Amino acid sequence: MVNPVLLIAVPLGFAFVIPLFALFWKPAIKYLPPLALAFNLVASLLLLTEVCENPIIVSIGGWQPPFCINLVAGPLGVLFSVVIALVGLLVSIYAIEYIKGDDTENYHTLSLLLLTGATGVVLTGDIFNLFVFFEILCISSYALVAYLRDKAGVESAVKYLIQGAVGSSLLLIGIGLLYGLFGTLNMADIAAKIDSVSPISLFVPMVLLITGLGVEAAIFPLNAWLPDAHSSAPSSISAILSGIAIEVGLYAVVRVVFTIFGASSILLFLAFLGILTLLIGELCAFSQNNIKRMLAYSSIGQIGLILFALSIATSGGVTGGLFQLLSHTLAKALLFLAAGYIIYRTGSLQITAFEGMGKKMPLTCLAFTIGAFSLVGLPPFIGFPSKFLIVRAALATKETVFAVLIGLALLGTIIEGAYFFRVIQVLFFQGEEGKPQGQNPAFNERRPDKTSGEAPAVALIPIFVFVVLIVVFGIYPKLVTDVLNSAATELLHRYDYIRSVLG
Amino acid sequence: MRKIVSILLLIIVAFGIIRALVEIPFGTLKTEVGRYYIEKGVEETGAVNIVTSVVVNYRAFDTLGEIVVLFIAAIGLGAVLRTGREKKTRDVQPASLILFTGCRFLFPFILILGIYIFIHGHLTPGGGFQGGAIIASGFLLIYLGCKERRISRVASHIAESLGGLVFLGIGLLGLVFGSYFLFNFLPMGTANTLFSAGVIPIIYIAIGFKVGSELAGILDNLIEES
Amino acid sequence: MSFLNSYIYYIGAFGLILIGLYIMLVKHNLIKVIVGLGILDTGVNLFLISVGYITKGTAPIFSKPGIDSQQMVDPVPQALVLTAIVIGVAVLALALSLAIRLYQHYRTLDLREIKEQRW
Repeated sequence: MVNPVLLIAVPLGFAFVIPLFALFWKPAIKYLPPLALAFNLVASLLLLTEVCENPIIVSIGGWQPPFCINLVAGPLGVLFSVVIALVGLLVSIYAIEYIKGDDTENYHTLSLLLLTGATGVVLTGDIFNLFVFFEILCISSYALVAYLRDKAGVESAVKYLIQGAVGSSLLLIGIGLLYGLFGTLNMADIAAKIDSVSPISLFVPMVLLITGLGVEAAIFPLNAWLPDAHSSAPSSISAILSGIAIEVGLYAVVRVVFTIFGASSILLFLAFLGILTLLIGELCAFSQNNIKRMLAYSSIGQIGLILFALSIATSGGVTGGLFQLLSHTLAKALLFLAAGYIIYRTGSLQITAFEGMGKKMPLTCLAFTIGAFSLVGLPPFIGFPSKFLIVRAALATKETVFAVLIGLALLGTIIEGAYFFRVIQVLFFQGEEGKPQGQNPAFNERRPDKTSGEAPAVALIPIFVFVVLIVVFGIYPKLVTDVLNSAATELLHRYDYIRSVLG
Repeated sequence: MRKIVSILLLIIVAFGIIRALVEIPFGTLKTEVGRYYIEKGVEETGAVNIVTSVVVNYRAFDTLGEIVVLFIAAIGLGAVLRTGREKKTRDVQPASLILFTGCRFLFPFILILGIYIFIHGHLTPGGGFQGGAIIASGFLLIYLGCKERRISRVASHIAESLGGLVFLGIGLLGLVFGSYFLFNFLPMGTANTLFSAGVIPIIYIAIGFKVGSELAGILDNLIEES
Repeated sequence: MSFLNSYIYYIGAFGLILIGLYIMLVKHNLIKVIVGLGILDTGVNLFLISVGYITKGTAPIFSKPGIDSQQMVDPVPQALVLTAIVIGVAVLALALSLAIRLYQHYRTLDLREIKEQRW
């Protein structure tokens, strides 16, 4: 039985040790994050087999809840922790070769701390602790977006920082109002006392919390920072941000709405917001020529779809939403990692400059194609069962509102297919006639290497592990649906959560 | 146009917060959790300063997260401002003898004040963060007054990492000895003396050195850049 | 008058929050926006502390044996504010370093000029 605290304490210890290694033994630094994340992955998988029945509650410091901070390792939290550790491990193996320079210890420390913050957000059971770990996640992502120190990166980081900081302050006001109303900071304790005040006085704290957490979760009016930030960061960071950070933000929103407030009145509004986010994301992605901006807008669209699925609030809907979250994480991380080396070899971010790369880098472009097919939702890949579950759950509610919204979602899927097929056509079916001379200013620090062909082996291994996972889960979705069902049950049944924490 | 939209937005936010604040009367007791900490705090943790026992013992996980945030800011600032060039030798007018000697004279006293505040964190108002900020202001005095002195980068990196590792190590030792992370496993002693309250003074000493060296490192990076 | 007396802390905190938000939304010099962020943080911290106040209360320290513990203020918001102040300082430090880098690239701090990332 692994103590869930070790999932946070061990990567933290490795992150504190990295600056010491930088003074004495530099070449070993880039192997430390994969070691820490491998430990996290093994520990989370061992925990996952135990918590599907009863969540494990760990109190920090030995006091009884609600007088202490406690970690709630339930199926939802440990599932997220597995996904974070898996994606983090693969991206950090990719980054062994991708990140060069003489100050790489900053990159590795910051990315390991980002993943620790994400793991802390999904495992905690106390709302102020959620805020602290959420800040760890956000601040390390502000610093990592600006890592290349070029014009685009610093500008995107400044805009992201300002919007994120306003969101955090609103979140803190909301937490203060909740403390004033209930007198406690433990999520289960607040959930137990929620009926003692009138619903009108809960409206303002709930809106403030959703707004504050929604800046990081990229819900519609709050996501102006996302296209700039995800496209100006180095590709391994874009993979972590699109694959982990916005999903963890969405987890925080959903945890607050379902477990603490138990609100059913706001769910229809969230469903509308989700479909609006989806349509705006897909339409903006369609008109992009910069590949990373296109992938960033596609992330916005997918988060909208996941939010819509989660706000259907039936068991099928929440399972479909969690499955779609898993498939989006795997596919989007794969797309960013593959695109990273395609950009490095061509020296440009414009899609029109990728002509003929399908012949020079066949394996990387094949992986990109598989990721694109999975995101659109084609059959043998993981995107198909997840979207099918969402459509079936939406139609099973027998309300016309959901039928209309799911129709709009399918329209979004068609637009998504159109722009991804355009990229695939450029990669494989167009020769190298006249390459436009797009020298992108984002590369003044890394001169592109146009000579050699394929991506290096250290980068290809994680890319192909993603491909294998996408194919395997697409053909046998039964491998994960049990875990997803117990996670959905935990999210929907808040009284079981309250009882397991407070006894 | 933008001003009108912002003012409308602010009026909506203002109404919302006023509506919520009406429910929370000012100056009355609202919580049972706070009452529990005040009544049971001294006997359970041994620290007479209840705020310290809340920060370092009951809610120690938040404090761990907070020092990680400061660590991230220091590293992020160093990464963003790094130029890779040699340290520019600025042609500054050397400080006058009175200023130079005065700053050198004051510096140890400021350090002693900071160390006093964080060692007595469990007895008087204060603690690791406050003491660390005072230590950093001592370093700021040296930068402003004696313009050629610099803090050694190696020493500040070692102090930061060791401070964090000591805190984490105490937490893991609590896991080993008491089966809870951050369990207070040293003997309590008698209240109101210096060597009481178990691990709380040790944690605060580690935090004080870590925060002091981190803030001094941030100041050093910002001054060198200009 | 007694209304003002008892609610002065809420009004002060809430006024600082609104001023900070106004600066961040309207001004276009980056340094002014960062100052506005600092004011917003101060307002939020003041609001958090004033939630925990008890009228005629004293600090929660048992400095002499025999102090009446019924009149002590709530210690939990003070612990929350310690953490929130440090997090606010960290964000401000990072924002200032990014402002320095931005000035080196663009030679101006006017946010209306820094719009290279368009549609």
